[in-house]
Amino acid sequence: MTSRECDHIWKMIHVAYGYIITEKCSRCEIVSTYFSFEDLPPLEEYREGEHFWNVVESAQSFRFDFQCEKCGQLEKFDELMGLLMCTGCDKNCQVAKLQEILEKERTWVYVAFGFLPKANHIQLPAKKIGMLEDFFNHRRNSTDSRIKIVSQELVSDYSLCYGKVIKDVNMLCLTLPEEGA
Amino acid sequence: MKLQEIIEKLNLQPVTKVEEKNVQGVFISDLLSDVMTSANAGDIWLTVQTHHNIIAVANLVNIAAIVVTHGKKVPEETVSLGNRYHVIILSTPHSIFDTAAKLNATGLKSK
Repeated sequence: MTSRECDHIWKMIHVAYGYIITEKCSRCEIVSTYFSFEDLPPLEEYREGEHFWNVVESAQSFRFDFQCEKCGQLEKFDELMGLLMCTGCDKNCQVAKLQEILEKERTWVYVAFGFLPKANHIQLPAKKIGMLEDFFNHRRNSTDSRIKIVSQELVSDYSLCYGKVIKDVNMLCLTLPEEGA
Repeated sequence: MKLQEIIEKLNLQPVTKVEEKNVQGVFISDLLSDVMTSANAGDIWLTVQTHHNIIAVANLVNIAAIVVTHGKKVPEETVSLGNRYHVIILSTPHSIFDTAAKLNATGLKSK
């Protein structure tokens, strides 16, 4: 059986934990993100070409590849920064409109984000977004509800999006136990 | 095992609406990355995290229910998202260790 004929069942392999580093240029304010295995990002401003980068955030995350359990085909996912669950905060956003339609069928929309700036990074192609969707729906093992994953290109205005890309940051906001607990 | 049976045996407090689900196993972690890579559909997830992204991850993996331990208060934003996405959140004043021990006694295992 060739990989083209295979009805793939993807498994997650080569899982590697690291950090998503977010930096901002102090001159032009452009934002850059990249994956790093280093737990300490550059703390001081550094120059790269015309940009002067300053760290905004370092968040624990992971990267992975997919391999088909049946035919062995390997697909790398280095282009994926993370997934964001649509909460429908901007009613004019294409993603929120899709969520509103699909929510009635208990289908939940997630956005696949690539690294920034978009012009400097290869973005996740539609074929791989489809693979992600297949993987999570197969793994969810449910006929009651489904996952729909779409490209970040559908997000109309990032400044109006209150959703957060899933990564381990700002998770340690300590709250006290309730009285009497 | 039915979720309602576990709720009764461990005296877990519902934080969101509860619907009947089958529980297959138990997963313990406070890292979203761990849940995304290693949890199984139908697992009960024990955590101290209450950030609203726990709903995003639990929904993605189809977690049977999140159990927030140590009596931590769950923010309204997280509760609201849980109700909307049919992700069940339960609460217990006990520690993760004690809760895991009680789940183990019911016959549930980590896969």
